[in-house]
Amino acid sequence: MKLSSIEKLTEWRSVLAKKNASGKSCLCICAGTACQASGSNEIIRATKRALIERRLLDRLSLRITGCHGFCEMGPFVLTEPQQAFYTQVKAEDVPRIIDAALAGEYVEELLYKDPSTGQKYYHRGDIPFFKNQQRTILEANQKIDPIRIHDYIAEGGYRGLEKVLSVQDPVWVVEEVKKAGLRGRGGAGFPTGLKWEMLAKQRSNGGKFLVCNADEGDPGAYMDRSILEGNPHSIIEGMIIGAYGTGATSGVVYVRNEYPIAIKHLTAALQQARTLGLLGGNILGGGFSFDIEIVRGAGAFVCGEETALIRSIEGKMGEPRQRPPFPIQRGINGKPTAINNVETWANIPVIIVRGADEYAKIGTKNNSGTKIFSLVGKIRNTGLVEVPMGMTIKEIVYNIGGGPVGKAQIKAVQTGGPSGGCIPASMFDLQIDYDSLSRAGSIMGSGGMIVMDENTCMVDLAKYFMRFLKEESCGKCFTCRKGTQRMYEILDDITTGKGTLEHLDLLEELAHVVKDTTMCGLGQTSANPVLSTLRYFRDEYLAHIQNSRCPAQVCKPLLSYSINNNCIGCQACGKACSVNAIHGERKQRHFIDASKCIKCGTCRSVCKYDAVEAA
Amino acid sequence: MKGKVTVTINGLIVEVEKGMTILEAAQFLGFPIPTLCHMEGLSPYGACRLCVVEIGEGARAKLVTSCTYPVEEGLKVRTASTRVLRARKMILELLLASCPQSKIIQDLAAAHGVRQQRFRQEHEDCILCGLCVRMCEEQMMAKAIGFRNRGEKRSIGTPFDVHSETCRLCGGCMYVCPACQLRCTYNEPEKAICGGCENLTPPCIEKDPFDDMMCYMTPCVACEQPKN
Amino acid sequence: MKRDGRSYVVAQVDEREVLAVVAKHEAGCGGLIAILEEIQAIYGYLPEQALRQVAQATDRSLVDIYGVSTFYRSFSMQPRGKHRVCVCLGTACHVRGAQSVTEEFEQRLGIQSGETSEDGEFSLETVNCLGACALGPVTVVDGKYVSKVKTSQVRGLLDKARKGYAQSGNGEDKEAFAIAVSCPVCSHSLMDAGFPLDDHPSIHVKVSIDHQEGCLRLSSLYGSGSLASECEIPPGEVAIFRCPHCLAELTGADDCSICQAPMAPMAIVGGGTMHVCLRRGCPGHLLDLQ
Repeated sequence: MKLSSIEKLTEWRSVLAKKNASGKSCLCICAGTACQASGSNEIIRATKRALIERRLLDRLSLRITGCHGFCEMGPFVLTEPQQAFYTQVKAEDVPRIIDAALAGEYVEELLYKDPSTGQKYYHRGDIPFFKNQQRTILEANQKIDPIRIHDYIAEGGYRGLEKVLSVQDPVWVVEEVKKAGLRGRGGAGFPTGLKWEMLAKQRSNGGKFLVCNADEGDPGAYMDRSILEGNPHSIIEGMIIGAYGTGATSGVVYVRNEYPIAIKHLTAALQQARTLGLLGGNILGGGFSFDIEIVRGAGAFVCGEETALIRSIEGKMGEPRQRPPFPIQRGINGKPTAINNVETWANIPVIIVRGADEYAKIGTKNNSGTKIFSLVGKIRNTGLVEVPMGMTIKEIVYNIGGGPVGKAQIKAVQTGGPSGGCIPASMFDLQIDYDSLSRAGSIMGSGGMIVMDENTCMVDLAKYFMRFLKEESCGKCFTCRKGTQRMYEILDDITTGKGTLEHLDLLEELAHVVKDTTMCGLGQTSANPVLSTLRYFRDEYLAHIQNSRCPAQVCKPLLSYSINNNCIGCQACGKACSVNAIHGERKQRHFIDASKCIKCGTCRSVCKYDAVEAA
Repeated sequence: MKGKVTVTINGLIVEVEKGMTILEAAQFLGFPIPTLCHMEGLSPYGACRLCVVEIGEGARAKLVTSCTYPVEEGLKVRTASTRVLRARKMILELLLASCPQSKIIQDLAAAHGVRQQRFRQEHEDCILCGLCVRMCEEQMMAKAIGFRNRGEKRSIGTPFDVHSETCRLCGGCMYVCPACQLRCTYNEPEKAICGGCENLTPPCIEKDPFDDMMCYMTPCVACEQPKN
Repeated sequence: MKRDGRSYVVAQVDEREVLAVVAKHEAGCGGLIAILEEIQAIYGYLPEQALRQVAQATDRSLVDIYGVSTFYRSFSMQPRGKHRVCVCLGTACHVRGAQSVTEEFEQRLGIQSGETSEDGEFSLETVNCLGACALGPVTVVDGKYVSKVKTSQVRGLLDKARKGYAQSGNGEDKEAFAIAVSCPVCSHSLMDAGFPLDDHPSIHVKVSIDHQEGCLRLSSLYGSGSLASECEIPPGEVAIFRCPHCLAELTGADDCSICQAPMAPMAIVGGGTMHVCLRRGCPGHLLDLQ
């Protein structure tokens, strides 16, 4: 079926919405990557089986959705309209959940309980993790099945496109985005409207490109994946609106090869949009044409950089090049190209439907809208959280994230991935936005927020990022290639007890030069992990150098393992040791042979009696 | 699109031709800028970063490589500011640690006042400036060698490390190499000036038995003997 | 599909296969990378011979193709092991101890990450982020995600992989169930008890392809791909299904999410719709239970 006009789309939406509003109860099950890893496919299968065998489909329906964000608690089942939120469900729990949903009751023991207070929540919206968020983008994920365009349309999807096509003024579109104050969610925070305005002004006889950057390379960030997997049509709609505003003729979604489900859902969504006439030639009979194709990346962090991404789309090595000329002037195949990240595109339909003025009210001045963070690491509630710009780190970490997992105190968060920096706990009152983060020596990046506690060594973390960057640098600029290698070398010396105070000065000097002399954005920021840890955690560096001690007990060469009197001789550690370094009679205290020990820490992790000590 | 633009280089307000790079403009005016990866007749690449200059003012001042940055109307360029010199010195120290045997690098380091070697010395004997790759492709039309891998593993050589069918053994790659040609046989990197390296023929052609006499390609284009 | 059998041996490259891949991707964006990805999907790695053929077929220099193949991390120039272990080293996994997990795998397998064990059994790889950060440290063993991995689990994971994940059984809901369907147009049941497949009544439709027409029986067991057809449907071809009672064509708006072919809708008795992909050999199906 092809929709030939805006009216046909509106009409069809009301038909679909009526069908959906039958008031039937529904079980929503997340099939995002994380939940699939936790076993949601089995839950889905069990639910299908129960619904079909018991012939319950006239009373209860099943919706398979994308990521809801609370990945820690997966797999889960959400019931509608009850809003009961069952966590860590197993296949055998399914019949009970179905019975309860039909009767309007609850399966008490499966409901989410706050791990610290033990309080039980009957309504999903009351759970602190969800209650303290403002989910303008992610909310849609639980309402739609990503491979069914009907769901998206019934929930008001493509209304933004409708509005744009009825206003019939490209300049208005660009002005709305400018007025909304949306800044690029990919990292640097460049105003999206401004970028579009520049693209609209470019003249080109061979067409112009719009690119959706879905090469989410920042380790620790996965919001783009969740949007692509859970709501691919929001990206498509955003790009069509963008094309209308800027006069772009083709679109490309550059997506990581590591995200197979996202690629699958996006492929299906594009096909459905084309079939309905929402994409391709003469969109909704309005005489405007635009199509999108998918290009898969092949695993290169540097391809998140605009000019490298363009080269990769052209099928070349992903080496960045000097700007100017900017991609807006000369991008893919020399044509003007505007690149925005996934989350940016997902914001576009929201801006158009709600209106720029409404949108600009969210967040703070110069930093409007919400931002999705992936709150991960040493924190109780890991998952995706969407909050208005300007929320403090403390609110995110404690009110939404639920604070630390164990006894160890949280000491810092790392934002912005390998290009970002660390923010110490003493600065947790910082209101998060592009400008405040950059003043604090970090960056927003794509929104990874990795929480670290006392058991995380900051020198080791800096070393981790340098290892990452020396492998991921494209290698073209000498200072980036060699600089990251040399910084790694120095950090490695420090973490193995060979560091000196001169090393520290050299490290700092080198970091500044790398920042100054490298060409692309990724290279310039590659020194940030070193500079920010030196700025806030110099004492940890000094402890490694002066006292040969790793305060977090992470750096193995500075550690030694021993077994104390708590040992009851259960032999668990001996069995687990891969180098046979542990000796001892059964029911007798065991000993570690330091000459064999490789300090892997396995013995400590298997000991139930706190008998293995590290110092 | 030809025309003139007005730029300020080291305080000198001059008109230069549009389309020129900063490096060309500065050299035209007689300001020396050191560079290792630039050569007339080959396309600019910007790999060695040695030719950085400072542009812009105040908080927006930044370093860019002059060999790839085009002149713009009103551009203010400083080719030898403190920031530029500090960066160059560090780059040279890094280069020297990777390629202590290159006379060109040794001389540049000495000229820029590099007096110490704080990094662990390596003998990579290649700075991946890409002159040979561009020479092979753009002047010799052979495309026998190219970049392989990325990051720390990046190297230059032939595909699959076997002799390339398109290589004509012209030696152009060795002719342009700043790290390989005119290498210094003096093995003490702290000494800025090394003597006695007037040899113009690459020793590997004479099947030099010394293992520190390197040729950066495996196998060497000239002698086709594998490294080691 | 061919990957399992021959990924750990040096592949025999079929030139026609390579040329077909090149022809398929040459026009689109990202051409070369898409070509290489597909070649790797076929052989498990990028064989030298195949790259030389790609260079010839695309009229590009071998230097460029070799450069691209070695630049991107997901391409492998070496044959890979029978079992693939991939440890995520994303930041979230790192702070939760992924480094120790990697070292434990290296220790147990006696290889470094990026290498393949001598017996060709295991390849150990690391990846910079799988995007399952909430569950770190994450390891993927033969395509299966394992979350919150501890060093003490490593040995067990390797044993499990050796035995094969399929046989090990990990609490899956294995009980098969049958789906009874009817024609969405005339509501007549499509079930045929007289022709059982997989010990259950089969689903009976009329199939037509290339002027041939005949009866087709599909297994009603969920997840089973068994069928019996009167007329020959070559793999990859798209057929048309009709209701055997009212002869209405079974057609709907949904396309297969795997191969984009049209799908035939059938009404599930009790509510909901089942969509079956019309392409022969495609496992695509959709249970619409909304």
